[in-house]
Amino acid sequence: MCEDCGCASPSHNHKVVDVNQSLLAANDALAAKNREHIEELGAVAINLISSPGSGKTTLLEKTIERLGKELRIGVIEGDIETERDAERIRAKGVPVVQLTTGGACHLDAALVHKGIHALEDQLDDKKLDLLFIENVGNLVCPATFYLGEHQRVVMISVPEGPDKPAKYPKAFIGSQVFMISKTDLLPYFDFSSEMAIKDALQLNPKLLVMSLSATTGDGFDRWLDYLRALCR
Amino acid sequence: MHEISLVQGLLRQLAELAREHQVKAISKVRVEVGPLSGIVIDSFQFGFDVLSAEQELTREALLEIVTPPIHYKCCFCGHVCLSSEGVPGSCPECSHTLLVPEGGDGLILLQVEMV
Repeated sequence: MCEDCGCASPSHNHKVVDVNQSLLAANDALAAKNREHIEELGAVAINLISSPGSGKTTLLEKTIERLGKELRIGVIEGDIETERDAERIRAKGVPVVQLTTGGACHLDAALVHKGIHALEDQLDDKKLDLLFIENVGNLVCPATFYLGEHQRVVMISVPEGPDKPAKYPKAFIGSQVFMISKTDLLPYFDFSSEMAIKDALQLNPKLLVMSLSATTGDGFDRWLDYLRALCR
Repeated sequence: MHEISLVQGLLRQLAELAREHQVKAISKVRVEVGPLSGIVIDSFQFGFDVLSAEQELTREALLEIVTPPIHYKCCFCGHVCLSSEGVPGSCPECSHTLLVPEGGDGLILLQVEMV
């Protein structure tokens, strides 16, 4: 009888190997190196995850306007195609690298590894306080890949509707901050912040919940204070 | 859609295991996909079927996907219960309604059979 599987074949010559290794082991090992590299630069990294169009790049533009003189900020932009987001960030005067995935729906640790090196080349003194990694617009796939970030911020905008935490649980389970954006549009949409927050906290009671409008600046101070505290 | 990237990673892991154990073919692969892993099992299976057929090593390999139930922990009394049908309405021990998932997001290569 075969020793490995117990089948009757006397000549059955096969091996059964218990592996018990994460499918993400290779990604996670690279992400740990990214984290070391980010810390060598003196930075805290934030992985920003949301659907397309919920305002990630606008949030970063306004954040740089308000904090750019106080903290050394760098940005890694992830998109499937184009340099457009990087151009918007570059116009704000901070170092930025555009990663184009060429079709892939998420950033992974290997891509971000390249991004950090390319960003470092733009830094005169090799120092940063705050690194934003703007993920590809998608609430599903980016949630699976650890990039080496210190904090993960998941954002939904008011026009998207409050059902996103319930529909896309993984993104909320793995994050530290839940941000609701475009709150200036609350009067025009049937958006229940209470429902969105309740569903998100049900998945992850440790989430820090914030809401803001990049257009009016409402709620922005709390976000900036959170970032300052991270960099201290 | 990231299922394809994960299948590619799995096939690299399998190639490494085959080298390590000096085998020429893999007959069965058992993978755990947690219900909260964000993976669409049909897409993962489809990706495996397409990509595994492209190489000699995995051409005959069968993929077996195991989906464990999720543990939910009561935030009030700490009781842990199992559910494979979403979050329970209330804790069976103390009736508190805030139960949070523990784990259930695993993506694990459990076992490989090689010939």
